[in-house]
Amino acid sequence: MHYLRLIGLFARTSFQEEAAYRANFFLSLMYSLLNLGTGVLGVAVLFNQIKTVNGWDFAGTLALLGVYLTVGAMRNLVIGPSLEALAGMDGEVWSGRLDFTLIRPVDTQFLASFRKWRLFSLFDMALGLGVLGIATMRIHSDLTPERWLAFLIALIAGGAILYAILLAFTALVFWGPGVLFTWVFNGVFQMARYPLGLYPGWLRLVLTWVIPVGIITTAPAGALTGITSTGMLAGMIGLAIVLIFASSALFRYGLRHYKSASS
Amino acid sequence: MNSIFTHSRGHGNLRGGMALVKATWASWVQYRSFFFILAFGWMIQPLIYLLVWTTAAGGKTIGGLNRGEFVAYYLVLILVNQITYSQTNWTIGDLVRYGQMNRLLIRPLSPFYDTLSSEMAGKVVYMIFDLPIVLVLALILRPEMYVTPINLLAFIPALLLAWALRFFWGYWLALLAFWATRADALLALQDSLVFLLAGQVAPVALLPGALRTAAVILPFRYMVGFPVEVLTGQVNTPGLIMGFVIQTGWLVLALVLTAVFWRLGLRRYSAVGG
Amino acid sequence: MTVPQITVQGLSKIYRVPVRAEGLRASLKSLIKRTYNDVHAVLDVSFAIESGEIVGLIGPNGAGKTTTLKILTGLLHPTTGLARVAGFIPWQRKHAYLRQISMVMGNKSQMIWDIPPMDSFRVLGEIYSVPSSQFKQTLDELIDLLDMQELLTKPVRNLSLGERMKCELVAGLLYRPVVMFLDEPTLGLDVSMQLRLRRFLAEYNRKSGVTILLTSHYMADVMALCPRVILIHHGKLLYDGELGALAQKMAPFKLVRITLGAENGSVSREIPLPAGVEITQRENNLLTLRVGRAEAPSVTAQLLQSLPVADLTVEDPPIEAVIDQVYMEGGV
Repeated sequence: MHYLRLIGLFARTSFQEEAAYRANFFLSLMYSLLNLGTGVLGVAVLFNQIKTVNGWDFAGTLALLGVYLTVGAMRNLVIGPSLEALAGMDGEVWSGRLDFTLIRPVDTQFLASFRKWRLFSLFDMALGLGVLGIATMRIHSDLTPERWLAFLIALIAGGAILYAILLAFTALVFWGPGVLFTWVFNGVFQMARYPLGLYPGWLRLVLTWVIPVGIITTAPAGALTGITSTGMLAGMIGLAIVLIFASSALFRYGLRHYKSASS
Repeated sequence: MNSIFTHSRGHGNLRGGMALVKATWASWVQYRSFFFILAFGWMIQPLIYLLVWTTAAGGKTIGGLNRGEFVAYYLVLILVNQITYSQTNWTIGDLVRYGQMNRLLIRPLSPFYDTLSSEMAGKVVYMIFDLPIVLVLALILRPEMYVTPINLLAFIPALLLAWALRFFWGYWLALLAFWATRADALLALQDSLVFLLAGQVAPVALLPGALRTAAVILPFRYMVGFPVEVLTGQVNTPGLIMGFVIQTGWLVLALVLTAVFWRLGLRRYSAVGG
Repeated sequence: MTVPQITVQGLSKIYRVPVRAEGLRASLKSLIKRTYNDVHAVLDVSFAIESGEIVGLIGPNGAGKTTTLKILTGLLHPTTGLARVAGFIPWQRKHAYLRQISMVMGNKSQMIWDIPPMDSFRVLGEIYSVPSSQFKQTLDELIDLLDMQELLTKPVRNLSLGERMKCELVAGLLYRPVVMFLDEPTLGLDVSMQLRLRRFLAEYNRKSGVTILLTSHYMADVMALCPRVILIHHGKLLYDGELGALAQKMAPFKLVRITLGAENGSVSREIPLPAGVEITQRENNLLTLRVGRAEAPSVTAQLLQSLPVADLTVEDPPIEAVIDQVYMEGGV
């Protein structure tokens, strides 16, 4: 299909752009490994002092770190760089080159979401899944196929929720400086590296209902440790669908506003 | 540890931000949000660990610290981290990268003062954001802190030495960028070490064996964690003296390295012909 | 009679801009009561362009040219008025419409920066669903016409401005649009490159029949390429027709420049002139005279006889001055 071929071309072209800067590759490698190392050590230091916190033990929290790294890599694979190319610091809205994107006979949201890839993130994803794999080996309860299925569903739903949030922030750029919102969000998102159970009750609510970053990582990891219920999964799927529709609508609304307000 | 920016992007934002602070203090209202977002970013990590450790401690103690003491430790850490945080990596690095070394040749001290003044300017802006937030957090989270006069007296030199250490340590590393093309990787490594060993992941006393030994010997603890531990009373008298000795030792080394690389850099720069 | 390819009727684009006041007091007042100004970017513009024409859209900065262009490319919605391009209403932004138009801007690049232009072309070919055989054929033709074979493998960031403009034109034409909108295409280019691009546009228009609507600040572009110009100022259409006819209408005279041969005291002497001839400039022994078009030949002959002429040229008034006059008078 036309759109699939386009995605393939976009990925290939982005790879060429990435490959144009070889020095960055080694730097990225370094960053990824350091990120992994400090993350794992951070969790290890905590659980060196205490066995469990609110039902989360070392293995479970490590699994969550693996999910966090994986979700982060999922984001940086395509939707992150693509939305960034539109709304980020050097982006098209800022430099006025959005007109070219708007004039293409392709859906603008599609272009904005899939145009730019960062294939190095596949390596990050492998690291994340690796940590997840090692952690699951230490999880003492049974890992039934149902749990893995629940995990997969939660992961995809979490990814969809993340996409919806990022798309909404990107849409804000059409009205003003939306970049700041993304930065704030990035800060808050870092809280998702620890299970919600490690945070005080009030924060748990905020991270579930106000800025749902908590569930993006906690739900999939919880699916493996048995903490995530079917009801929660269903809720997540519902939330994902609602949020994607809402943020897509916001994006289109923002485009219309941009087109009528700019000169 | 995820930072909000990738390295290159962070440096770009910061450089632009600093130029703005210096040039347009009058219109700081407009750019306040930019700085506050940055300050917020630096605050996130300590806050996360504050929350995690206090939840973990619950009603009991971990490593001798109860919930309230963890709150106190991390709130002080946020402020100390802000005060000692050095931007020399970016400002000096830029000076070198964009070939403004001739300023160093003509007036060797002026870049130093420039860096210093931009540091101060930046810190004032960030503290305007940090202090109210820390106060509000203190009201909500109820820290427990018993500050003895000795602790307070020892805290001030510890803090000043920590700032100087972090400043000059960053200075020589930035000058190193003039020689090593892989300096970016080195800085990334440095960031990770600071994160692990300076008291952010956990107060140094709570680190497991090998890491704790490393943290006590290496300079990173003395850039952030040490003053915090002094103020919150986590260090006994022998530990205090030992700490100051190690801190001063590393500071001297940093100064020497800075001077050496400065001179080397100048020589290379003028030999190449500017 | 064929339907024009581009029809514009009563097109207007009005912005409501909040009044931004100076000073603290005014800022506070504006918090309570916001006042707005109406800015007419485009006001009641109408014209029709046939398929295959090359039309120049000229006007000073902020006149409304770019706004008009953006409305016709579907990037902006007009406040009132109608427009139809290639049978479509532009701001409905149907994909079938977008596949038939292209926009090339002199000051913004649509190429991907770090890789060779060929890769950007490939992506565009897929975006516009160009069949691969047609893609190759069109690309070969364009590359040949523009003489850019060696550029194809260099990363775009290493190309000069002129080379990059060639790439932009290829990007805009590789899917064979029926209408091309050019916004300042020769901006910042050296004279020889400007010439080359103009020649290319003229030739390609002849070969393919693509309709071209072009804005430019360089009168040389307009004079060389556009048999027809549309003049816009303050959002209003002031003139639509041939450039030559405009000059004739607005400035029906010629400039005669005479260099007088040096004789003692010749400079201070009174110059005897035929009726209706004005001296517009006098510098030592250089005279510039304004003569009605029809009378120019006879006046020139007279001057040659009655004055010690060392050199003489007869020129059309500079077109820029003519156009300036149109702007100032607000009409023709």
